[in-house]
Amino acid sequence: MNRRELLKLTAMSALAGSLYPVRSALAQSDTLMFGCPVPISGAFAANGKYADIGMKLAIEQQGKLLGRSLAYTALDTEGKPATAVRKVQEAAQQRGARFFAGGILSSESLAMGKEVERLNGVFITTAGADEITGKDCNKATFRWSVPTYGAINETVRPLIEAHPNAKRWYTITPQYVFGDGLLSAAKDIFKEKGLEHVGNSYHSLTEKEFSGYLTNAMAAQPDVLLVLNFGSQCTDTLRQAVSFGMKKNMIILVAWASGLEQFEGLGADLCEDVYFGAQYWHAIDSEHNRELVKLCNDKLGYNPNYSLAGSYTCTKIMLDAIAKAGTDDPATVIKTMEGMQYSGLTGPETIRAEDHQVIKNYYLLKGKGKAAMKNKDDYADIISGGQSFLPIDQTGCKL
Amino acid sequence: MNVYVLQVVNGIGIGMLYFLLAVGLSIIFGLLRFVNFAHGAFYLLGAYFCYQAIAWGFNFWLTLLVVPVLIGAAGWALERTVLRRVYDKAHEFHILITVGLALIIQEGVIMVWGPLGANVPPPDVLQGIVMWGNFIYPKYRLFVIAFTAVFALFLWWLLEGTRLGSAVRAGSESTEMVSLLGINVMRIFGLTFGLGAATAALAGVLAAPIRGAEPFMGLEAIAIAFVIVVVGGMGSFAGALVGGLLIGIVQSLMSTLWPEGARLMIYVAMGAVLLLRPHGLLGRG
Repeated sequence: MNRRELLKLTAMSALAGSLYPVRSALAQSDTLMFGCPVPISGAFAANGKYADIGMKLAIEQQGKLLGRSLAYTALDTEGKPATAVRKVQEAAQQRGARFFAGGILSSESLAMGKEVERLNGVFITTAGADEITGKDCNKATFRWSVPTYGAINETVRPLIEAHPNAKRWYTITPQYVFGDGLLSAAKDIFKEKGLEHVGNSYHSLTEKEFSGYLTNAMAAQPDVLLVLNFGSQCTDTLRQAVSFGMKKNMIILVAWASGLEQFEGLGADLCEDVYFGAQYWHAIDSEHNRELVKLCNDKLGYNPNYSLAGSYTCTKIMLDAIAKAGTDDPATVIKTMEGMQYSGLTGPETIRAEDHQVIKNYYLLKGKGKAAMKNKDDYADIISGGQSFLPIDQTGCKL
Repeated sequence: MNVYVLQVVNGIGIGMLYFLLAVGLSIIFGLLRFVNFAHGAFYLLGAYFCYQAIAWGFNFWLTLLVVPVLIGAAGWALERTVLRRVYDKAHEFHILITVGLALIIQEGVIMVWGPLGANVPPPDVLQGIVMWGNFIYPKYRLFVIAFTAVFALFLWWLLEGTRLGSAVRAGSESTEMVSLLGINVMRIFGLTFGLGAATAALAGVLAAPIRGAEPFMGLEAIAIAFVIVVVGGMGSFAGALVGGLLIGIVQSLMSTLWPEGARLMIYVAMGAVLLLRPHGLLGRG
């Protein structure tokens, strides 16, 4: 090849290369792209799978928006913050995604929120750490789920009222921001109510063997075992606690249950008489929830669980905000979302403008035995539900 | 009863499962000089086959007998058809092919049973707890300790008291010598690999009522298995037993002494053993 041909070839390559972003931009402008960054592999993969389905349902149900077709991309965060950030970057740069609904773990959600803000996008999550709409809040991040403060207040307080003689509490806590948030809120209530916190066992996020921690708990002879972990670790803790006969000797409260999939994994016998805190339950009596339950049964043949419902509603919130704003400009959509009131899965819900926290109910459930179940998903009764949120000046959020 | 005594009993229970998980890997490495990253996948299959068999109405005892034999046979077939082709290749090939197999098996489990975990109840006669004064312990975990102890004795007899065992032990010293004695070395390799897979599957069946069956349990298992093999000494049956018990007891005691560091201490213990005895506690130089 001579020099002239090499120069021609180089020029043609440069020209072709320069057309790609234009072509890509044209393709992207026809489609409104959403991102679903959730763990699709690893310990929290079960939650991620249903979150993916939830976004898909919402996108398909909407069909088109602002005259444009809708699409989404599932991003496997593996439950790791660094991977989550990289996947969000790739989705934004390569696929033009600006609207993200996801984040199962608090650590990945905190990291992604910062990245989405840098990318001038919108991110809405169901993760639980107070910091997400607290001291680490940012303009791009919204949160649908009730944070750790509310989760503890709407479970521990009703339990204390139901069992006034339960004075000694033992906690099992995952050692990271989410666990510490739950523990801190629990300790505040113990102090206020004059209850004895007889011990706490921290554990790592990769732990599967809880017999050692349960042995610690049994030695402390508590009235209540308060389980503060989540997902498969919560399932393992509960399974092993029941095998040690702890259900007979004390009350067990799981502050943050995964939802229906957790009950399916454990079975009614294990869940009977155990208390669970829940962001969502398919039996909630609200118009929007009844619509979602019908949609899921029609399209999928099963009831929605928390992961699916959370992702569905987060996506729907963004879709409705875009429609209301009349534009997909993230800054305008954010302004529209601030203070937005809508009919949500738990009834009327409001997005608090000052910290981007959705004000909604959190529920206390009690597991029931097989004989008491009216249908295959009737694992628990809703004992109580309510709203507990830190006042704005105590959240530490400055937007 | 003192909480530390309870933690030691706990640790023995955990350690016996770890031993079962690791001994097959140790024997495979000792004889075949083959690093089998698919070992955790046999454990995973054991748990899921147990779950499915019980869901189909078979009793736990039959499952305990049949599933390891089935998985062992599958392991033997895998060795004959796939792994044998890479023995003479560099270790990187061993790692690549077995990691690939592990991922295929894991994804296959997810395709068949879904990504959610499943509960496996212990048999009726082993449900509940035993109470001796202050000592409260699940019946099933006591059964696991007793059963694994008996199985360990059986395995020891197999390795020390049978021709197959003699061939395996001799082969781990020198396969060339064993071959020159007229023993079909490849047949021994296949049977050994099958035995390793069967013991991993047995660990999975026994662990299922404690841990449930969930798709990523193979990954956790292989990490622990390698720690035990390194601590105990590669190729050493006794090393796998001592290593398993040591790691189990360390993990359990740390749950009381330093709960958040219990998992970390498994690897710290491994590091300490490697520093003091690089070939493992009972490994040969």
